[in-house]
Amino acid sequence: MPREDFIAVDKFSFFYGEKQALHDIDMAIPQQEVTALIGPSGCGKSTLLRNMNRMNDLIEGVRHRGDIRLNGKSLYDPRIEVISLRKRVGMVFQKYNPFAKTVYENVIFSLRVAGRNKKKELDEVVERSLRSAALWDEVKDRLHDSAFGLSGGQQQRLCIARAIANQPEILLMDEPCAALDPTATLKIESLIRDLKSQFTIVIVTHNMEQASRCSDRTAFLYMGRLVEYGPTKQLFENPSEEDTEAYISGRFS
Amino acid sequence: MESKSPHIIREFDAAFNSLGNTVSVMAGQTRLNLERAVSGLMTRDLDLCRAVIADDDDVDEAERKIDAAGLDILVRFHPVATDLRKVISSMKVAAALERISDHAVNISKRAKKMLQKQEVPETQLIEPVYTIADGILKDAFLAYTDRNGSLGASLRERDLELDRAHKRVIGTLSERIEQGGDTTEAYLHLIFVVRSLERVGDLAVNIGEDAVFLDRAEDIRYARKRAAEIQDEDPDL
Repeated sequence: MPREDFIAVDKFSFFYGEKQALHDIDMAIPQQEVTALIGPSGCGKSTLLRNMNRMNDLIEGVRHRGDIRLNGKSLYDPRIEVISLRKRVGMVFQKYNPFAKTVYENVIFSLRVAGRNKKKELDEVVERSLRSAALWDEVKDRLHDSAFGLSGGQQQRLCIARAIANQPEILLMDEPCAALDPTATLKIESLIRDLKSQFTIVIVTHNMEQASRCSDRTAFLYMGRLVEYGPTKQLFENPSEEDTEAYISGRFS
Repeated sequence: MESKSPHIIREFDAAFNSLGNTVSVMAGQTRLNLERAVSGLMTRDLDLCRAVIADDDDVDEAERKIDAAGLDILVRFHPVATDLRKVISSMKVAAALERISDHAVNISKRAKKMLQKQEVPETQLIEPVYTIADGILKDAFLAYTDRNGSLGASLRERDLELDRAHKRVIGTLSERIEQGGDTTEAYLHLIFVVRSLERVGDLAVNIGEDAVFLDRAEDIRYARKRAAEIQDEDPDL
């Protein structure tokens, strides 16, 4: 049975120095579902996403209150190593960022770093990851060409293949289609729906239609607070909060 | 939950208001057509009957305009939540109004035929049925314009009153037909007229259901039938 609170955000507050970016966020993100975080710029959605694999630790002067638990275990448990955490929680960014390497080497980059060099294993990981990222058929004859020769949409799917090569449990996506054309965007959205059978996905998006098309649940954040969180269908058809309705309807001042 | 703030895109509010205004004008035309159809029958006014038949084209055109405007809003603005329900319910209300106007035309056509023969006093039986049907129609549209789900949901009960009145009149007219005579054809026309008014009540109830959907995002259509089916399936209920 998929766990209902696979990612449990528990009274979580986050501060950049004196500035409080998140206020007492409580939300349970279910396993093997797609959860979208929406809200105006500066509402805290990317901050929340980046806390799910402790990316924000890299920023000086930050602190938090409350907790985030992955599958029941606190992210902030002192016994947790951040490197191993990030193996469990993959991330895809707004601007596709393949390395200046071949398609093949991009996919297995993290395995190389971990010292895994057996060709048979690497070949298997490359094929499995590229198939999962719906890219295999398009690049199988160009595996040893530069990743920069791929189209934008293909490069972003390559980044997804790279993020899932380690078979993480969670995939975080920060506006993964913001730099893509509509066709490439639809391919990524279709991929997101396919990937949820294997991963728990959290996606930050400014695109309402994208949230309504590819997520199971949606959370609306405003000024660092969670205003409304529920099934996507309900949130877009009949939201409970006036601010949510104003935002999704284009009436937000 | 409805937001009262203006839309960030001004054209959206303009398109949206225009859609609402067209539905209001169509509702006015439809009620007027129904009123004139019944009046033409009661007062034996041929010009009124002809006017109803001619003006039905305007109602048809209004429905076409509302569908086009609704589709335009869906394509251009991708509305969600209340805005989406407003567009969908406006298109459905327009379809119901168009059918109500068709019933007004049917009544007028029957009236025209009746004008060629001697008046029968049973024509007066139509007016109370019309009064109930028009009352439901008026409140159905009010429920839609005011987003009053409670009023919309209450219309089904009032439609039962209309159904009873319809049955009484049909019973009386059937008795007259059994008695035979030259007026049989007139009674048959009146049966079709009262049946049209009963259908107007049903369509007004549909508009009330659209108002509930608009107000509460609830689909109450066929609720009684569904409840009855569930009861049939479960002998303990």
